[in-house]
Amino acid sequence: MTQRRAILAAVGFALCLLVPLVVQQDYQLNVLFRIALFSALGMAWNLVGGYAGQLSLGHAAFFGIGAYALPLFHDKLGVPIPLALVLVIVAAVAAAYVIGRVSFRLRGPYFALATIAFAEVLRLSVKNLEVTGGDVGLQVPALFGSISPTRWFYLAAVVLAAAALAATAWIVRSRFGYQLQAVREDEDTARACGIDPARTKLNALIISAAFTALGGALYASQYFFIVPDSVLAIDLSERPAISAMLGGAGTMTGPIVGAILIETALELFKNVFHEAFQLIFGVLLVLVVLFLPEGIVGTLASWWRRKRAS
Amino acid sequence: MASLFWSALQAVIDGLLTGSLYSLIGMGMALIFGVMRIVNFAHGAFMMLSMYVTYLLFDRLGVTPYLGFLAAAAVLFVIGFATYHGLLRWVNERSEFMIILITLGIAQMFIGGAQLTFSGDFHKVNTPLSGALVHLGSHITLNGGDVLSFVISVALAIGMFLFVMKSRFGRALRAIAQNRYAASLIGINVQRTQAVAFGLGVAAVGLAGGLFLPAFYLYPEVGSGFNLKSFVMVVLGGMGSIEGAAIAGLVLGVVESLTSLYWGNQWAVVVDFVIFLLVLSLRPAGLFGSQRV
Repeated sequence: MTQRRAILAAVGFALCLLVPLVVQQDYQLNVLFRIALFSALGMAWNLVGGYAGQLSLGHAAFFGIGAYALPLFHDKLGVPIPLALVLVIVAAVAAAYVIGRVSFRLRGPYFALATIAFAEVLRLSVKNLEVTGGDVGLQVPALFGSISPTRWFYLAAVVLAAAALAATAWIVRSRFGYQLQAVREDEDTARACGIDPARTKLNALIISAAFTALGGALYASQYFFIVPDSVLAIDLSERPAISAMLGGAGTMTGPIVGAILIETALELFKNVFHEAFQLIFGVLLVLVVLFLPEGIVGTLASWWRRKRAS
Repeated sequence: MASLFWSALQAVIDGLLTGSLYSLIGMGMALIFGVMRIVNFAHGAFMMLSMYVTYLLFDRLGVTPYLGFLAAAAVLFVIGFATYHGLLRWVNERSEFMIILITLGIAQMFIGGAQLTFSGDFHKVNTPLSGALVHLGSHITLNGGDVLSFVISVALAIGMFLFVMKSRFGRALRAIAQNRYAASLIGINVQRTQAVAFGLGVAAVGLAGGLFLPAFYLYPEVGSGFNLKSFVMVVLGGMGSIEGAAIAGLVLGVVESLTSLYWGNQWAVVVDFVIFLLVLSLRPAGLFGSQRV
């Protein structure tokens, strides 16, 4: 079973890598880039929000740190790009450590509120500081050369998503993954079993932040220019959470399904319904919560289990 | 030296005037989040709706916002009641995660609806009062409209506090907060009481929205900044404490005003959130009083 899934994932990954041979137009590749990117972000969020059960609504902080760290290290300090990408991860891990140490002492809605507050403090600070270019923003170095860069960005996003999926698959089967889920189900019982909930959650957040920051750096480089309201907006915290939960929080493939649906829907709504897209998006979100609380993959999985049991 | 003192005093008084409206917003959230534990991310969107209602009354019928806000609050009560009955009731028993997501969806619906109906244009209401200046001595100058809204909101805040603490309805609500099941056993209609309380909380933010209208440019996203701010007030005031949230509103108004004076306007909200994080990590029960329902 596990082996079959691994083969399936590998075939899917290979097919995704071949897509640019068929799809050549920049616009379509750009949409696919965003689907792959938000799949990766959703899976990264899922480690904290799904498996550890900690509803973070501040992942925009890590995304923005990735987006800003790349130009800051490369252009302001002259660090070469590969090393700058490593420093992107280091910065995100450091931020996750600080945010986690404060926020994980809180439970339930307080945790969610604290993460939003961190992200907002970061956004407003970046907006008002000189070194980050304030409201005007920063130019971001190109990660890929000038020959059809969109294709390379798409491929990079696919690789990031594959890495996130592999990390999730590994974590779920590891001791660490079981500890995470134990903490989600009952923190006090988990502690009684000798698990350190604070450290477990912090580790999950650190891994999640590293992926999210790389996604942010990729996004920033693709759009060439960043401002605080584009890469640190609350919207960027909500979208990965919403795609993960639409697909099924705490399921391995849920975030991918969710990201495909949400990004496609957003693109269609923007083109077809123009002004009404936000209204429709809100209605959809409400409907999902009311009728698909376990998400699409989660609902299908429990339906499948029930069917097999009977 | 003296001028430093007067400018600080002016900032404190201005902060109290704005803060009184924050108090109403915070009290609304204290009812919804503090007492009923509904994590309401649509609070700012409700405020925006109230501002549009007040604006329409002013624009079409010439009703001054200083009266229109009452009608807007009534409309918002109905909308809040209906929102609870139609949507929130079904997820209230489930996880906070679901409540956060559904209120985010509701906020998107309202904002998207406003965008569609009114477009993204900016509107501004000018009343004769908001131009009138009140001089206190030779150093302090106040805006007439702000003074009026301060008086109104303090009266409303006291009224609301008394209603929740003394009335039969308020007692029923606090009984539900302490123990839902036991409350239903002694004959309290849990769902209706919660729906009315949600409507009241939304009406409170509606009152503030109407009174804020002369001070702000109106556009669909105008309320978004108030979501987190209203949570800040509830936590600062202590969960479940209505009067705590009211005092926290005044504190926030003064802090923002002083931050604007000394560090610049752009840092005012940052200071709010930093205080919030400090309170959450150092004194989670809030600054005023202990944790109680």
